[in-house]
Amino acid sequence: MRATRMVPAALAALAVGVVAVGCGSSSSSNGSGDENAPIKIGASLPLTGDFSEPGKAAKQGYQVWQQQVNASGGLLGRKVNMVVRDDASDQNTVVADYNALISRQKVNLLLGTFSSLLNIPASSVAERNRMLYVEPAGGAPEVFDRGYKYLFFAQQATADHQGDLFAQYILSLPPAQRPKTAAYPSLDDPFAVPVLDGIRAKLEKAGIKTVYKKVYPADTQNFDAIANSVKAANPDLLVHGATFADGVGFIRALNKVGFQPKYFFQTSAPSFADQFSKGVGENNTQGIFYAVSWTPDANTPGNKQFLDAYHKMFGNTTPAEDAADAYATAQVMQAAIKAVGGIDDQAKLADWLRHNTVNTILGPLKWADTGAPQGQFLIGQWQGGQSQIVLPKPAATSDQIVQRQATAAG
Amino acid sequence: MRRLLAGRSRWTIVAGLATLFVALYPVLSDSTYYQDMIILSLIFAIGAVGLNVIAGYGGYVSLGQSAFVGLGAYTVGLLSLHHPDISPFVWVPLGGVVAGIAATLLGVIAMRTRGHAFVIITIAFLFLMQLVMLNWRSFTRGSSGISLPIPQWDVAYQNWPFYYALLAILAGAMLASWRIRRTKFGMGLIAMREDEDKAATVGVTTPAYKILGFVTSAVFPGMAGGVYAYYLSFIDPRGMFDIVISVQIILSMLLGGRGTLWGPVLGAFIIEPLNELANQQLGGGNSRLLIFGGLMTLVVLFLPRGIIPSAGVWLAARRRRGAEAPMGTRSDGAVPRGRLALRAPAPPGGGAPLLEVRGLSKRFGGVNAVDACSFEVQAGSITALIGPNGSGKTTAFNLIDGTMRADSGSVWLDGQRIDRMRPWRRAHLGIARTFQITRLFKEMTLLENVVAPLRSFSLARLNAVAISGPEAKRAEELLEFAGLREFRDEPAGALSYGQQKLVEFVQVLMLDPRLVLLDEPAGGINPTVIERMAQMIRELHGQGLTFLIVEHNMPFVLGLCDPVIVLARGGPICHGTPDHIQRDPKVLDAYLGEDFVLDEPVGVGS
Amino acid sequence: MTDFVQTLVLGLLIGGVYALLASGLTLIFGVMNIINVAQGAFLILAAFVTYSLWTATGIDPIAAIAITAPAMFAFGWLLYRFAVVRIRTASPAASVLLTFSIALLLEGVMGLVWGNTSHAVRPSYFNESFHVGELFLPKAQVYACLVAVGVLGALYAFLARTWTGRAIRSSAVNPEGAQLVGVDIAAVAALTFAIGVATTGAGGSLVSVLYPFLPGSHYVWISRLLGIIVLGGLGSLTGATVGALLIGVGESMVTTYIGPEWATAVPYGVIFVVLLVRPQGLFGARLREDVAV
Repeated sequence: MRATRMVPAALAALAVGVVAVGCGSSSSSNGSGDENAPIKIGASLPLTGDFSEPGKAAKQGYQVWQQQVNASGGLLGRKVNMVVRDDASDQNTVVADYNALISRQKVNLLLGTFSSLLNIPASSVAERNRMLYVEPAGGAPEVFDRGYKYLFFAQQATADHQGDLFAQYILSLPPAQRPKTAAYPSLDDPFAVPVLDGIRAKLEKAGIKTVYKKVYPADTQNFDAIANSVKAANPDLLVHGATFADGVGFIRALNKVGFQPKYFFQTSAPSFADQFSKGVGENNTQGIFYAVSWTPDANTPGNKQFLDAYHKMFGNTTPAEDAADAYATAQVMQAAIKAVGGIDDQAKLADWLRHNTVNTILGPLKWADTGAPQGQFLIGQWQGGQSQIVLPKPAATSDQIVQRQATAAG
Repeated sequence: MRRLLAGRSRWTIVAGLATLFVALYPVLSDSTYYQDMIILSLIFAIGAVGLNVIAGYGGYVSLGQSAFVGLGAYTVGLLSLHHPDISPFVWVPLGGVVAGIAATLLGVIAMRTRGHAFVIITIAFLFLMQLVMLNWRSFTRGSSGISLPIPQWDVAYQNWPFYYALLAILAGAMLASWRIRRTKFGMGLIAMREDEDKAATVGVTTPAYKILGFVTSAVFPGMAGGVYAYYLSFIDPRGMFDIVISVQIILSMLLGGRGTLWGPVLGAFIIEPLNELANQQLGGGNSRLLIFGGLMTLVVLFLPRGIIPSAGVWLAARRRRGAEAPMGTRSDGAVPRGRLALRAPAPPGGGAPLLEVRGLSKRFGGVNAVDACSFEVQAGSITALIGPNGSGKTTAFNLIDGTMRADSGSVWLDGQRIDRMRPWRRAHLGIARTFQITRLFKEMTLLENVVAPLRSFSLARLNAVAISGPEAKRAEELLEFAGLREFRDEPAGALSYGQQKLVEFVQVLMLDPRLVLLDEPAGGINPTVIERMAQMIRELHGQGLTFLIVEHNMPFVLGLCDPVIVLARGGPICHGTPDHIQRDPKVLDAYLGEDFVLDEPVGVGS
Repeated sequence: MTDFVQTLVLGLLIGGVYALLASGLTLIFGVMNIINVAQGAFLILAAFVTYSLWTATGIDPIAAIAITAPAMFAFGWLLYRFAVVRIRTASPAASVLLTFSIALLLEGVMGLVWGNTSHAVRPSYFNESFHVGELFLPKAQVYACLVAVGVLGALYAFLARTWTGRAIRSSAVNPEGAQLVGVDIAAVAALTFAIGVATTGAGGSLVSVLYPFLPGSHYVWISRLLGIIVLGGLGSLTGATVGALLIGVGESMVTTYIGPEWATAVPYGVIFVVLLVRPQGLFGARLREDVAV
């Protein structure tokens, strides 16, 4: 009686073990194998959870790129297959995802995910496995502090340099017009805070006094008290670090409080086109500055084809900035592969990127040894209910810069 | 007995095979995906095994467990940041230490709160920790998080160091949990869970137990957090102090079976793959919430014990079909089985009172339950405390043993003032007390019930093995004295009322008391048991033990006790031999009213 | 000085809405000794429902209370009958765990139905303020506060003047006694739970106008509500109101004078201090030292 109960239990345990080991075993090479086999590219994106909006947009960007590449003969003459996993905006999952892509699904190449918080652990997995890792988003300076050799960021600059051109503009104003005081309220976010720190460092050095500098937590909902404090500080220039909801909420609160600074720079939110103007009310958008990596009107190589392909695949809406960033990411990877002529030696791909410039729909991108890009973001401003690019001059869609005004009532 | 052993060894083999498999997995397969899954399961398991000590054994369910993982992670992360050339593994034990210190804080808080308040505080603790980590940017880098260095070992070894480090930590946690369950510390924790106030009266120093329990529950998750930080290579406050992880740890413990050794581990190895499944196949973040919310709802409602205990109960029920329940057995004869030698024989009575109550008062709202009450109990006597309902007898007991605080007055034990002391202190000084309605620890076996009381507080004593060895031997002697030794492994809740009363009596004898307070020992039981009770009292009294008995059963009292103190309306109205008080008009008046005349004296002879 | 008064006023306006939200939570605890941690999720659910109503029909969110409150009442009643009733006799930990898991379930469902991005209801007055001297009173806040006070007043009157209200209060104080005088305490419990959910649901409609919300917002809200009822005293309606005003003002003051990053710490700090120093809060009943009789 004992034996007959014991043996099945032991066998069951053994069976489970064998199956798992069998499923789990993998060959250690990530080689391409057959020369004509399709190339498998893997990425994880936050398709659900806190970052699901930009995550979904990024997926669209990757998909547009895949369609374009395959339509024009593939990569190195081989068809491109893509696997996109959902990391649910969760760090544990993104690590599991990239492990799965590498060891279970045996992808040949990787593409990055969205947000510094997810890209940091994900890039560690890639680095440990010696695979090229180009990311569409994740510009926090800490991302590039780690001495990684395979990591590259496919936007023009890291967060702390995002506002460079704007800071330059402010400092270039004649003394009569230049703001004397500045306030820096910010969301507690690894992306927003460095943007403000970068701008503030430049402005403080030139003598613009900081009259308010506070960080509010991510779950802040009530901006009235913060707006009130900013009003009490009465700054000439307001630089606000935000994502979307808090950016909109803060502008509404400023209206309620009845305060309008002469100059107003806000991260992220104003780049959301219609969503932004609907959110704050069109009359309230006038004069707000922001930094952005891409616009639909940009005259960069491949931009029009990107837009056309996007419209064909996803309808006549304007792609989000994140979709364009994702597309550019894939372009970067593609350029390196084309130049090196192979996908097996990923160290060589990384090396090539370190020494070359890639032309993308965001413009030319080039990198330092750390993988941090060395370019400059576009600076936009809302004028007359439309968002325009105002800096740098060559890329500008409007040649004037307006003053901030808003009507009292929304 | 043999069947029981066979069952145990069967499961031991299964557990052993599973452990072997997990331990060898990285050697057998190089799938980093599954290794990753096992690593996360190990972390949950460590969290759940730790939580089991304070929540499973101790009954204090904390939603703050992920705070300890986070603190361990941040300890390692910060030290690694400032000393980049030293391997983060070196700092892992410190992670445990920091978590332990934080747990001491939580234990101190637990001393003052219970039930709802406690769970709420653990939630607040977790969120507050997260907030402090977020806002203290200069120290913790705030929301930007901290990056840890990439491992430098050969890629061929993949995740082995993390894997085996966590396995070692889990082994340590389980060893601690196993050991605790066998010691007096573990008994006390379970007693606390079952009935905290009763545990206090049998010498369980609840504040110390709580703090020790919390520290034990935090140290291993703290270390696991340190390894986790290195593994993930990046930590930030939102990820490390996530309440959903706390929920998953609790769920692991509940699902597998709280209070068991392997239950939390089993639970963790179900929950983490489920977590993966939810994230990958079923559409990410929201379905994860649905699955875990739904699972916890089901577990709390329908499987509160968890898998292992429920399976155990089901199997035990099958094995026992037809066996006689302990409740149904006859208590045969009035002869107590065997003699009991008191371990701390009382010094001869010398005239000074052992217990003195002076001017004791206690009111509830407008009612003076005990009103300027003063009386004495001589050493070596069996003193009775009688009186009509509402005269304050049980309240007086509560004031003497520490269950309640007096409004005024004092209580003296052998010349030492004790009314400011907590109940366990009084128990350590030698006061034992049974309750009017028996309070045993229902889920514990008889042996465990009798072994749970703590004679005096010392770390060595807490560490003493309870379920075997000298403590257990003494407990068996006591159970033999009560005639119930053969039921030593039955849960106390399975016994009849009379049997429970006998057990509670010998349970408090474990304290080696000087004074035993019995609250209605003859209430609600049949004459045979009453007689046995009386014989047990006489036997112990013969060795010098002092008794103070509250009773309504007059034959019992008058045949056993001398002197008798009569209480009415909160204070003593008469005091003397049984004969004397039977005739005293004040007593008759208090009980029966003025116009009742007693025919003849009542008494029970032996 | 105006700064201080302005901060105070903002705090009081929010406090009024908090009071309505907390009333449900404290009522449920008073009658059935359950801390309903899912209350935050209920209020977010009501906010989402209001949002959908507003986008579909344009109905004013504050007026939408007429729909959301009864809907949440029904929802609460059903939830009680099918889930909550089973754990009435369970340990406090079990009830917290159960209601917590209900909150998680709801969060998942809301995420699936409405997505995980921020939503806000923006009627025409959302950007405007009343100006009283140097002070500005945001219109949305004023309307919400007035409605909250109104509903709270109705709740008070109901509990004090009607038979059902007295039945509820009596079963909170002494369930056995209430039964003995003919109160059907099972029905009263279901009713109380439903009312508690409904008042929070009404508050949720108000919240939809005042603050952006997403499914994960319920943590912040339940922490706040717990802080309020702990401060006011578990089970006391007056306590909930006073506690709500104090915490509303407290958060406002901390935001202005210390920094917004510590505003969310206010409820947690309150919970710690109150439970350790004076566990019954401001108005709660002292736990009776019951003898094991």
